[in-house]
Amino acid sequence: MEVQPTVFYIIAIVAIIAVMLILINRKLVKFDPLSKPKGIVLVVMMAAEMVDKMVKEKTDDKAAKFLTPYILTVAVYIFLSNIAGLLAFESPTSNYSVTLTLAAITCFLIEYYSIKANGIKSYMKSLAEPMAPFIIMNLISKASTLLSLSLRLFGNITAGTVLMGVIYQLFAKVSAMIPLFTNFNFFGVLVTPVLHFYFDLFSGAMQAYIFITLTLSFIGKELPKEQ
Amino acid sequence: METGIIALAAALAVAGGAIVGVYEAKVAIAAVEAIGKNPDASSKIQGMAIIGAAIAETSAIYGLLIAFLIIFILGA
Repeated sequence: MEVQPTVFYIIAIVAIIAVMLILINRKLVKFDPLSKPKGIVLVVMMAAEMVDKMVKEKTDDKAAKFLTPYILTVAVYIFLSNIAGLLAFESPTSNYSVTLTLAAITCFLIEYYSIKANGIKSYMKSLAEPMAPFIIMNLISKASTLLSLSLRLFGNITAGTVLMGVIYQLFAKVSAMIPLFTNFNFFGVLVTPVLHFYFDLFSGAMQAYIFITLTLSFIGKELPKEQ
Repeated sequence: METGIIALAAALAVAGGAIVGVYEAKVAIAAVEAIGKNPDASSKIQGMAIIGAAIAETSAIYGLLIAFLIIFILGA
């Protein structure tokens, strides 16, 4: 069996996250709760607060207790995977297996909360609504959640990667026309940073945000309403 | 000849993205108008607008994926 190179990039990203967590933890332990937070402590606090608020808004308090750490983990992982192109990595999220796994976890959580809220009996009944033959439609609509969640992330990141590759090739050809710089991608260096900013940083942050927002609103839909 | 037709097919597959672009802009317009009318609800409207735009974008991304498949599988 051949090991895909993405596996090594995933391990590298997980290692980066682990090292970051250890370093941030060291800072947080030393942090005095009465003083003003600054630097990395402030960033971590703002991120945690934002995710906490988002999860509490979309779901209830009981589910939020489990979901907040998961959502923050997924957000950090997807964001770092999306911007891995900046570290000359191949983005793990441009591999369909990775995004399919992430979407499968989301779908599993949706079904889990749906069963937990309604009980297994009425969950089975809801599959065959409004009539028994509609079971096929309902299953397709569940599968389409999985498909659209995974393909959205995969498509966006792959499109960015492919476009950057095409642009680098184009500017390599343009630079080859300049007599002195035949082997040096002169225009590429000038033009691509802006595009990296858009395709890697902006698009990556956006897609991570969209993924967690969609996950939360799909799960929040299944939770029981208490009014 | 054959390469040209493959390129044309890929271009047609992503052409649907143009319509998606127009209507995604409409989502943004509606969101801005809603925030203008009701600035207090801006955080809620923002989330809804992003979800709506993301779901609308899915069809464009399907088109893009099909274009990739056409280029990399048929064109290879």
